[in-house]
Amino acid sequence: MNDLEKLKNHFEGFKNLEFINSESVQSRIDAFERFCQKGVPSLKQEHWKYSPLSKDLIHFQNLKFSLNQNKSFNDTHFEKFDHYRVLLKDGVLISDDIKEEGLEITKYKQDQFYEIEKNQILDFNNAFFTPGFEIRVDSNVNIKKPIVIYNYFSKDFDGNNINNKNYIYLDKNSKAEIYEKNIFEDEKDLFFTKNLDIELEQDANLVKYYLNSTNNNKTIYNFIRSKLKQNSEFEKFNFSHNVSSCRDEIIADLNGTNAFVSLNNIQHLSQKCFHEIKWEINHNEENTRSSQFVKSALHDDSVAAFQGKIFVDSKAQKTDGYQLSRALLLSDRSKFLSKPELEIYADDVKCSHGSSSGSIDQESIFYLRSRGINEPQAKCMMIEGFLAEVINKVKNEDVRNIFYNKLNEINNT
Amino acid sequence: MIDIKNLKVSVEDKDIIKGLNLKINKGEVHAIMGPNGSGKSTLSYALSGKEGYEAEGEINYNGENILELNTEERAQKGIFLAFQYPIEIPGVFTNNFLRTSLNAVRKAKGEKELNAVEFLNLVKEKSQKLKIDKEMLSRPLNVGFSGGEKKRNEILQMSLLEPNFIIMDETDSGLDIDALKIVSNGVNAMRSPERSFLIITHYQRLLNYIKPDFVHVFSDGKIVESGDWKLALELENDGYAKFVS
Repeated sequence: MNDLEKLKNHFEGFKNLEFINSESVQSRIDAFERFCQKGVPSLKQEHWKYSPLSKDLIHFQNLKFSLNQNKSFNDTHFEKFDHYRVLLKDGVLISDDIKEEGLEITKYKQDQFYEIEKNQILDFNNAFFTPGFEIRVDSNVNIKKPIVIYNYFSKDFDGNNINNKNYIYLDKNSKAEIYEKNIFEDEKDLFFTKNLDIELEQDANLVKYYLNSTNNNKTIYNFIRSKLKQNSEFEKFNFSHNVSSCRDEIIADLNGTNAFVSLNNIQHLSQKCFHEIKWEINHNEENTRSSQFVKSALHDDSVAAFQGKIFVDSKAQKTDGYQLSRALLLSDRSKFLSKPELEIYADDVKCSHGSSSGSIDQESIFYLRSRGINEPQAKCMMIEGFLAEVINKVKNEDVRNIFYNKLNEINNT
Repeated sequence: MIDIKNLKVSVEDKDIIKGLNLKINKGEVHAIMGPNGSGKSTLSYALSGKEGYEAEGEINYNGENILELNTEERAQKGIFLAFQYPIEIPGVFTNNFLRTSLNAVRKAKGEKELNAVEFLNLVKEKSQKLKIDKEMLSRPLNVGFSGGEKKRNEILQMSLLEPNFIIMDETDSGLDIDALKIVSNGVNAMRSPERSFLIITHYQRLLNYIKPDFVHVFSDGKIVESGDWKLALELENDGYAKFVS
């Protein structure tokens, strides 16, 4: 992607495609120009210093855009519990609109695109996106069953780049639970960027689960921007399991008193997987609370990075910010990179952070083995126990079981 | 049952056990007493096959030299070490651990593994005898357990796995009188003509509750004196001084 001339030609072809809304063309052109000015992320840029994208994007010299006309979906991927289905196949929404009891799920309709100075991949996404989903929940509505989003990447897709934009809006005092998972059908190279904007009105409550599991040759960038008003709550659980190359970035703006955000991530990686977490929580009002919790189990040559920032504005007194990351290094070649950041301008706040990494406790292994449990199984129990601390916080029983089952599927060498 | 011949154990090139000979027949209870630093805990680890404990000589167990077997193989053959300080493992739930352990041992013995219902019935019966609360079993293994709860949990594991040779390392440490009685009753209930015990302790106190057939004084990596249970009383009165060179 670092050959800008090639990329410009690609964009010229792309912007004339039929599906592109003429009103959005100019903002796409502007976004593309910003991307060109900033250039491809590199290790020299602080914002991208620990990112797998800074290493991987150079492999995507010839981007190919494609729209898959085949709308079929293998229903064995459907979850067994009762839920609302949102199906995206190769970046395009293929499920029917849902409109019932205060819930509306349609194709993405927003046309306002913002810029974040250091984030040129967001510019790239703004230039090349195809519309994903838009979820709206009316005020005072509690969505009774979870919404499941299937990101399905099929083997009959002949491009190598997908970018989409999505939006979730919860009106006052509404409640929703969303589980999202990726399904990869093959091991072709793919660069996938996804932008999700979330807005929570007063007293709204959103819980979102995301399973990104087992992929090869996929370079993924997930960017979530969430804005929380008074008394609203946003809880997020990510399970990053054997992802070849991925950055999960979240910005959460706590813009109303008593707003609360809780971000949780498990990184369970083997072989040469590289997963990066970049979180920024902005406490912009009084009495806001946040929690960041990361647990990483790293086998083989895998690398995990965690950068978590707590920003406290001068007027955000009584802020309560918490951050903890713990990594289990299961081989002497695996790496955990951790960079906690606190930027505090108010004087009456409670903020704590902690980060640790280490190998598996041999005394515990001996204890388990002395009870007849063989060494590989003892290690599995220890790893599962270590990561379970995050999974046990998942309140939805179906999702908790999905996450537990995934734990055992590590294919380390 | 167990016949240890000229056992030498070193840890990080330091010789700790220096030629131990000990024979324990089926159904016998032997106590090893000795001062701090005499190598008692090293003996218990070496018998369990802990890594990092370099052993030579012979440990014959039911006629087989088990020196080359690893920890879990020895456990599966019926050797059980009750820990002085049972390890706390966050995230691993006690019930789940007990079932995994029991089924690993049963599988190695060629017995049928227990399903969840069969296991819960068994564990309920055994834990009631040891006054173990059901709630304790749903907590992470030993995490936040009191000293007494940890030791009772050890005895529960022992009664579930039904081992043939039991090594108890300073089981009385950290126990109050009531807990000591419960633990001792649990051990005494397991005494049988088919099962042998090696009790490692500093004090004679535990031996008032679990009466040994033989008592050995351990000093500087060797047994320096052997006798019956009266030897323990003698040690309680006179101390170890006359055995320590």
